[in-house]
Amino acid sequence: MQTNVRSKALRTFSEAAQTIVNPEVQKWKDQGGKIMGYFCAAMPIEMITAAGLLPFRVRATGSTSTELSDAYLANINCSFPRHAFNMALKGEYDFLDGLVFFNSCDHIRRVYDHWIRRVKTPFVKILGLPRQDQPAQVKWFREELAILRQGMQEHFQVEITDDGLREAIALHNTLRRRQRELYMLRKQDNPPITGAEMLTVTVAGTAMPPVRYGRLLGELLEDLGKRAGHSGHRARLMLIGGEMDNPDYIEVIEGQGGLVVTDSLCFGSRLIWKDVDEGAKDPLTALAQYYVADRPSCPRVYTRFGARMDYARKMIQDFKVDGVVFVRLTMCELWGFEQYTASHDSQGWGVPVLFMDRDYAQTSIGQLRTRVQAFLETLEAKHG
Amino acid sequence: MDEKKERSISRMREEVAYFEPILDILKATPGEMEKLQAFIVENIVNNDREIIQCVEQGKPFLSAQFTHPVEILTAMDIPWYFHVQQQFVAGGTGGTPHLLEDLENMDKLDVPTDCCTLLRILLYYQTAGLLPIPTAYLALTEPCDGVAGLHAAFMNHPDWRDVPVFEPEVPYHDEQRAYDYYAGELKRMIEFITTHTGKTLSTDRLKEVVNETNRGYELWFEYANLRRAVPTPHSYIMPLSAFYTLNFAGAGDPVKTQWYRDLVADAEKRVRENRPEMPNQKIRVLWYDIQPMFFSELAPWMEREWGAAIVMDMVSYCPYELVDTSTEDAMFRGLAKRALQHPPMIHQARGLVDNVLTDIRRIVTDYKIDCVIFPGHMGHKDLAATTSIARETCRELGVAFLNIGMDICDKRYTSVDQIKDKISQFFTAMKLG
Repeated sequence: MQTNVRSKALRTFSEAAQTIVNPEVQKWKDQGGKIMGYFCAAMPIEMITAAGLLPFRVRATGSTSTELSDAYLANINCSFPRHAFNMALKGEYDFLDGLVFFNSCDHIRRVYDHWIRRVKTPFVKILGLPRQDQPAQVKWFREELAILRQGMQEHFQVEITDDGLREAIALHNTLRRRQRELYMLRKQDNPPITGAEMLTVTVAGTAMPPVRYGRLLGELLEDLGKRAGHSGHRARLMLIGGEMDNPDYIEVIEGQGGLVVTDSLCFGSRLIWKDVDEGAKDPLTALAQYYVADRPSCPRVYTRFGARMDYARKMIQDFKVDGVVFVRLTMCELWGFEQYTASHDSQGWGVPVLFMDRDYAQTSIGQLRTRVQAFLETLEAKHG
Repeated sequence: MDEKKERSISRMREEVAYFEPILDILKATPGEMEKLQAFIVENIVNNDREIIQCVEQGKPFLSAQFTHPVEILTAMDIPWYFHVQQQFVAGGTGGTPHLLEDLENMDKLDVPTDCCTLLRILLYYQTAGLLPIPTAYLALTEPCDGVAGLHAAFMNHPDWRDVPVFEPEVPYHDEQRAYDYYAGELKRMIEFITTHTGKTLSTDRLKEVVNETNRGYELWFEYANLRRAVPTPHSYIMPLSAFYTLNFAGAGDPVKTQWYRDLVADAEKRVRENRPEMPNQKIRVLWYDIQPMFFSELAPWMEREWGAAIVMDMVSYCPYELVDTSTEDAMFRGLAKRALQHPPMIHQARGLVDNVLTDIRRIVTDYKIDCVIFPGHMGHKDLAATTSIARETCRELGVAFLNIGMDICDKRYTSVDQIKDKISQFFTAMKLG
């Protein structure tokens, strides 16, 4: 599905999403700014912003091989960390001044163990991220964040004050609200933005200075208001899955005529659907509460399966979804078991679901096309 | 009893029927090893009988993990079963006799085949109604992603949806703060058990149980030290049994402590008399992962063909730290630490790779290990990502390292013959044996 949008902002986002060291990052670096990488959506980026650093979410965009990382990670490990670590070994992440890991999954947490041995990033930490969302876990995570704050202050010689955190929370909430405005446009019968473009926007948000990003979001919203939406699509689709930072993947789906109108992806709606509490007395507690308990969860918070299914059902209803594509990176046990459990729950969603496995690098496009094609035919047959 | 309940305990009944005659033979045989083995078999049978009785009579029982402090469950006098054990039911000689049929049925579930078979097959047991539905369920958040995913699936199965669940949250790091946090989780777990089963905890009783398991740990430590001897006193069965015996239901029973005493005495005697259970030992192996269900087709072959003795393994190695029972707080902190540092998988797979490397360094040095074997189970994604660092550590230590690559449940993934080939080629190439 070709874009209808002629937007300078979207072009900037596209550049940021399609590269690692994009011009915005380069400019930040040239001006003497420091950059803190992170691997997981659970990173309270507000802390990085409050420290005066640029938050940058690690991807493996453009990677086509894993020849270096194969010496460290096995073929039963997920392809995303293998590609990302391969890039790090090639020096493509040398621009990072710091990097924060969580025990996000069995693959990523081991990348930490290799990273500290093989890559010379000056500041690298791993935090324990709870798998539950109860008050005890919020309290635990708040302590983890306090330890991180202390470490960042000492290493980067900065002060991360409560006021600074409050400002950063307000800034990032503003960005989330603008991103949600974009999502709301997709509820229209003829949405002005495609799924691939939306993913481009959210991915770019993890790779450029937040203030600049906010301005560009405003411009994009204005641009979109001026133009006609997409029509002629065969079905409205929702994507559900984990790590997905490649708009090209969605473009393949949309190229077959299925318009992706919403998602539950960790580079997508789950990043932005809720706000951090700006009125909380202690901003660090507010961040812990948000990242552990309030934001839409991924399957590693296994006690919240019901909430995830409610989230999917509401999305399907609100965005008038005709069919769901459930995407999993092969070797991912979290999403593997989620897929199984969801396959039962989804029988009550009232829309067909296509379960797809994929590798991080864009391979098997032919298979993806064929399966999506068949799925769209099923949807069309259902609707007569 | 309705058909569903009867089916849920059918595998346990089979296990009892399978082991009863074996137990009679072992008891009638006067040998020293038979006496030790008889106790283990009897322990399994008694646990099964207890759960069967609970189901039959509608008494409360739990489905739990050996990774929760079992002392608490003993002290609360609540029967429990470890659902993963179900896969080994009537096993010991290659997994349950239904294994192949179960694996085929498991393949029909919509769980991707690259997910851990150990967990997929467990899910099959649940969906097939082959697990007794407990009064309450103690889940776990670690040691791997698969376990978390499995618990979500369990909790959302129509037959289990109404079973109350508590999952103590296991922290990633090993530090005092983590032990304090986990101690809090254990206290919440006790409240949960009381709410749903009516069973309460007496601190005095817990202290009594922990003091007894401490004696067991002391003896286990002594036994582990005896295994350092060249030749090592026992074949692979006893050390593995030691772990399960201490950590399974009924932990803290003085009878178990006595069994440890007997085990140590037997090992000591064998070392003193230079009369190992396994003769002609040539290669000293560290087996670093849990054992495959078909281990009885491999380990005796390694012993017989190559003189390869498994001197230490991941399941039976632990830091052997005793729990301070002087105050309630100290006891809970100690139990929390034990729960994070002792149980296999939780100790190694949770947390940083250094946990594995420290083990390898200590064991290789202390036990005069010639080679380290990683079975490379397809479900252990974190260990797969650990292999290269472990290999490097072994290189530094000057010991050979083999990563096999298998499915510990399913011989169709890598056949026993293929595994034997790999091991033989490895021993030959490294000039071992």
